[in-house]
Amino acid sequence: MAGLLSKERIVAGPGFNRWLVPPAALAIHLSIGQAYAFSVFKLPLTKVLGITAPAAGDWKQTELAWIFTIAIVFLGLSAAVFGRWMEHVGPRKSGVVAACCWSLGFFVSAVGIRTHNIWLLYLGYGVLGGCGLGIGYITPVSTLIKWFPDRRGMATGLAIMGFGGGAMIASPLSQVLLDHYRTATSVGVAQSFITLGIIYLVAMLSGAFLCRIPAPGWRPAGWEPPALKDRGLITRHHVHVDRAIRTVPFYLLWTALFLNVTAGIGILEQASPMIQEMFKGMVKPSAAAGFVGLLSLFNMAGRFGWSSLSDRIGRKVTYGVFFTLGPLLYIALPYAGRLRSVELFVICAALIISMYGGGFATVPAYLSDLFGTQYVGAIHGRLLTAWSAAGVAGPVLVNYIREYQIEHGIPATQAYNVTMYLMAGLLVLGFFANLAVRPVPERFFMSDDELARDRGLVGVPGRS
Amino acid sequence: MTNMEQSPVPRSGQWGLVAIAWLLVGVPLLWGVWNTLLKAAALFK
Repeated sequence: MAGLLSKERIVAGPGFNRWLVPPAALAIHLSIGQAYAFSVFKLPLTKVLGITAPAAGDWKQTELAWIFTIAIVFLGLSAAVFGRWMEHVGPRKSGVVAACCWSLGFFVSAVGIRTHNIWLLYLGYGVLGGCGLGIGYITPVSTLIKWFPDRRGMATGLAIMGFGGGAMIASPLSQVLLDHYRTATSVGVAQSFITLGIIYLVAMLSGAFLCRIPAPGWRPAGWEPPALKDRGLITRHHVHVDRAIRTVPFYLLWTALFLNVTAGIGILEQASPMIQEMFKGMVKPSAAAGFVGLLSLFNMAGRFGWSSLSDRIGRKVTYGVFFTLGPLLYIALPYAGRLRSVELFVICAALIISMYGGGFATVPAYLSDLFGTQYVGAIHGRLLTAWSAAGVAGPVLVNYIREYQIEHGIPATQAYNVTMYLMAGLLVLGFFANLAVRPVPERFFMSDDELARDRGLVGVPGRS
Repeated sequence: MTNMEQSPVPRSGQWGLVAIAWLLVGVPLLWGVWNTLLKAAALFK
């Protein structure tokens, strides 16, 4: 089994079609993207004992909210801790581990629901599932960058688009499963979790086993590296992960990602209540649900669209657009509220969310430009701690500011205005962080000897 | 890049495998997008 999963075994042979790697990556990302649809289970989980309505002893929304928070925290932590290991063992082994963690998370959570033990949900979906999320998220990214040196942004965008799209599959699928398994004595969540766990195990294992890595020095037929020398921010050298985290550009990018995600979560977290409260009497709950759906579409489309565009205009310029256009759009949101223009509000919010997704999808290519491709997966893993931090900071900021406003007599229709201006301010800070990004100094580059030693790990003749 | 070998053209049979792989991930994704569009349509009614 160990041999079957080894990195040497998955070096692609001559004639391997690199277009097989994106669907393999998508199979993994579409599976773990279920995390964005976890809210489908929140209401049924508050009625596990009462079935039709919450009973005494049933879990409260506040207790359940911790499950998702723990999962996002462990996503960042596991990506940071296991990134280097993932680069060492290759995408097949790490993909299998991610599949096992993610599915086991569902199975342990199902036991937690059966025994009504919330700690098993924290351990299952939160800790184990979170590790599956983190390892699964970074698993195909560096492989794709190595297969598509000519279109790094598009390739990573394709995979990371799956993370946005996964919720679109999981949300209706979960509803179908809940309806199917619901009985007079069960809300059907435990059975749904077991079914989802099996489906995702199969999908992720298929993706992991389909994945191949290119032989050292491989490049696409007919493609020549743009220049022999480093060009602007794009280096032809490689930086070791342990050295990358000692560089200023790493922390500037961490800050840029943190601020972009925090600002995006400001909309995502409160999308449904926000549009209903800002346009009281104009937007019904069903239309608000449609608004949330539209945001998911733009979140997914932005991941592919912005990262593909970054191949043409450059990563720094792409992030520059996020941090220039973003504040203007955030300032336009309260204005749309004052004008009572739902259309303007929806357009601005959709564009903001497309840039939130675009930030995620463009960052691996940005990292590979700055630090080379050798350790990009591990460096990306460490950068994802910014996501965990933003996952905690974003909702806290939005909720507390809104509560503070309402406590001080601000009408609900205007309670989000300060939050919007604050988010615009965060994006302006992000603009300066991105502006300050400079090429990594030469002293951080790996020597030819170090590189040869590292690449020795994949120096076995390939097979497909 | 130490070894600059060009990759030969992919084996023709692999394009079939590519098509199947894309179908397997594309069909569920399109189903999800379609469901989301139906939900989003409520916003414009």
